[in-house]
Amino acid sequence: MFFKMIKGMLFRQWKKMLMIAFTIALGASLASAMLSVLYDVGDKVNQELKTYGANITVMPKANSVLGDLYEIEGGETPGAFLNEDEVMKIKTIFWQFNIVDFAPFIDTEVTAPDGTSVTAVGSWFDHHIKMPTGEELDAGVSSMRSWWEIKEGEWLSEASPGSENSAMAGAAAAEKLGLSAGSVLHIKGPAAEKDITIVGVFDSGSEEDDRIYLPLDTVQELADLDGKVSTIEVSALTTPDNELAEKAAKDPGSLSLAQYEKWYCTAYASSICYQIQEVIKDSVASPVRQVADSEGAILEKTQLLMVLITILSLIGAALGICNLVTASVMERSQEIGLMKAIGAQNLSISGLVLTEIFITAIFGGIAGFFAGFGFARIIGHTVFGSAITMRPAVIPIVAVLVVLVTLIGSIPAIRMLLRLRPTEVLHGR
Amino acid sequence: MKKRKMFLRMISASLMRRRSRMAVALLSIAIGATILSGLVSIYYDVPRQMGAQFRNYGANMILTGTSGSFTADDLAKACTEIPEKELVGAAPYRYDNVRIRNIPVVAAGTDMEQAQKTSPYWMVEGRWPSADGEILIGKAAAESFRFREGDMIEVDYTPETAKQGEETVTDNTLYFTVTGILSTGGSEENYVYMSMTDLEKLTGTGSRIDVAELSVSASSDLLSGYSDNISAKVGAVSARLVKRVTASEATVLTKLQGLVLLVTIVVLALTMICVATTMTAVVTERRKEIGLRKAIGASDKSIISEFMGESMLLGLMGGVLGAVLGYVFASQVSRNVFSSELSFRPLLVPVTIIVSMFITGLSSLMPIRSATDVDPALVLKGE
Repeated sequence: MFFKMIKGMLFRQWKKMLMIAFTIALGASLASAMLSVLYDVGDKVNQELKTYGANITVMPKANSVLGDLYEIEGGETPGAFLNEDEVMKIKTIFWQFNIVDFAPFIDTEVTAPDGTSVTAVGSWFDHHIKMPTGEELDAGVSSMRSWWEIKEGEWLSEASPGSENSAMAGAAAAEKLGLSAGSVLHIKGPAAEKDITIVGVFDSGSEEDDRIYLPLDTVQELADLDGKVSTIEVSALTTPDNELAEKAAKDPGSLSLAQYEKWYCTAYASSICYQIQEVIKDSVASPVRQVADSEGAILEKTQLLMVLITILSLIGAALGICNLVTASVMERSQEIGLMKAIGAQNLSISGLVLTEIFITAIFGGIAGFFAGFGFARIIGHTVFGSAITMRPAVIPIVAVLVVLVTLIGSIPAIRMLLRLRPTEVLHGR
Repeated sequence: MKKRKMFLRMISASLMRRRSRMAVALLSIAIGATILSGLVSIYYDVPRQMGAQFRNYGANMILTGTSGSFTADDLAKACTEIPEKELVGAAPYRYDNVRIRNIPVVAAGTDMEQAQKTSPYWMVEGRWPSADGEILIGKAAAESFRFREGDMIEVDYTPETAKQGEETVTDNTLYFTVTGILSTGGSEENYVYMSMTDLEKLTGTGSRIDVAELSVSASSDLLSGYSDNISAKVGAVSARLVKRVTASEATVLTKLQGLVLLVTIVVLALTMICVATTMTAVVTERRKEIGLRKAIGASDKSIISEFMGESMLLGLMGGVLGAVLGYVFASQVSRNVFSSELSFRPLLVPVTIIVSMFITGLSSLMPIRSATDVDPALVLKGE
């Protein structure tokens, strides 16, 4: 009889039930959309902040102290270089998947035919890397210097034929040497001479404008530094620093074993630096504070902002559902009064009403979850141009929320049911 | 006159009598309006607030001298080209080669207070110098000299005039207390920083600025306008934008604002539909009342205008409530997230009220229409 009544209710009053289901679906979709976005916003914003370039630099140990302090030219001291073979090891550390980009650099002075000298920097441009893990990645300056404005020509592409004799010139260097896109320059390095073609002129708004950029191998050949690099810039997704990270950055030895493990297994800039030093011989990796610090601050603020917006919209959705459930039960006071008049117990009436609402809520909730996930995808695609991943963790949260909210929403309705006097209602007051 | 009085009386009486149900409707409208006004104020405030966060990246404009005579006066003149509210900091820098223990080191003279503002990411172990005779040492330099916080050091400078073939060179010497060790992860770690006046005293030369770093909280279009203005109006100075900071900031900020916009739209659309369904439910349950009125001879027009008047009144009250609550919410967010005050937008108040009245009106119009269209006998019978 109970089920028959529920079935009857659902079918006869399908319009009203549809409306409740619809409101619950709206609330659930709001909740699941906001939660999915919330879970992913950190990663997405972090990706965006990569436009600021490297947040970690790796230098040879000897160089970091001697450096320009003692004004040692050329760097003939042993150990003042890193090995090119070791560069790839960066992608083998514990946090390898957090390393999104990296590029080695080497520089040397070259002279043009008219005697002007200019700094030639060798690096990767769009170096294609295939990891043994199957991951593929295009790393190099074209992604790590995304703010360069190409004034003439185009970015150097390593895949194009003759790229080993191509170069990009900074705006100031191009002006000094009278270069433009397509011109050929004969340069003389410490060890070799070469004719290079300028494929692009860029404006960076910094001292990089005074340099020319060539493929790594070309500069190594010019300077006779085969297989050597002077610095490596690494762009890594990091977690904002906290007290533990700051303590560890000063001296990892001062941590207790548990703290050490926690630090090592969290993607702090300092722990990634530490891990890079472990794999690259005689290197010093240090976070670029300008980038690393600001990233942390912006990430934190964005996440907090999203949390607060999510809370507001969840409260809104919850109250909306509560309202409608209450209104729809109140509306049926006459029907319920009749049931009471013919002897129905409070308990059984409450059970009946709750079951009806829950069945509707389940349908509404499921529909809403998928709709909400659709919204999250739309947001991900329009704003960040990449999909927002579906987190299984969102499902139970939304489910609990829907159940809780419908239950709370039914409380005033149930209270009203219990207080209801059949004579009054049937009389029409 | 009489008619209007009756109309008002019916509306207010209906609102009063059906208090609990009307409270439900009012609550839902108020929530909708709160979300509307709260999220829209946040959306408009995000670029400003986030822009301030982005100033963590440091200077986004660099001033250099054109003819070699860049002085503090030129810097002050250049700063007047930028609205005071947008200028976060302007730090002058002057570099000279000095010697510590006979090893050449680059010393930078600056205004410590401004430098802290333009480079908030500099991490100082110890404290920033606050008086003359105090010095900040880059981490790399401190390591090679084995200096620590609190050490007294001697800094020498060979005056340029003395270099010309003189046998006995008298160095200028000053003593400094190391107040802090600076780490940045960049080349700054190799330098030592002292106050402008100390460096002038040490070198014995007049005021000179090599580079000034400006941190300006403005959009990239405005920034390039300022830099053009400064270059044009202040002859001794040429202004350049730090592309790395400005270009990246523009990209990230646009994305963030886009995110908040889309979230706002989705949340708003869903909330408004929620409000509409609640209103529809509230009106639908009064079909009987409508039927009764029709049966005793009320015209469709008077019924519609009365019901609409009622829901408009609800919309008005909900809108006012929501506008206030929304502002409270948004300013709480602003205080908690960005720890700064929200700028009040007066225009948002009427907009919130109008939108909530429009939505409540529209969502109650449909069920009223459908109730008045039906024969009163059918409605009263309960079909």
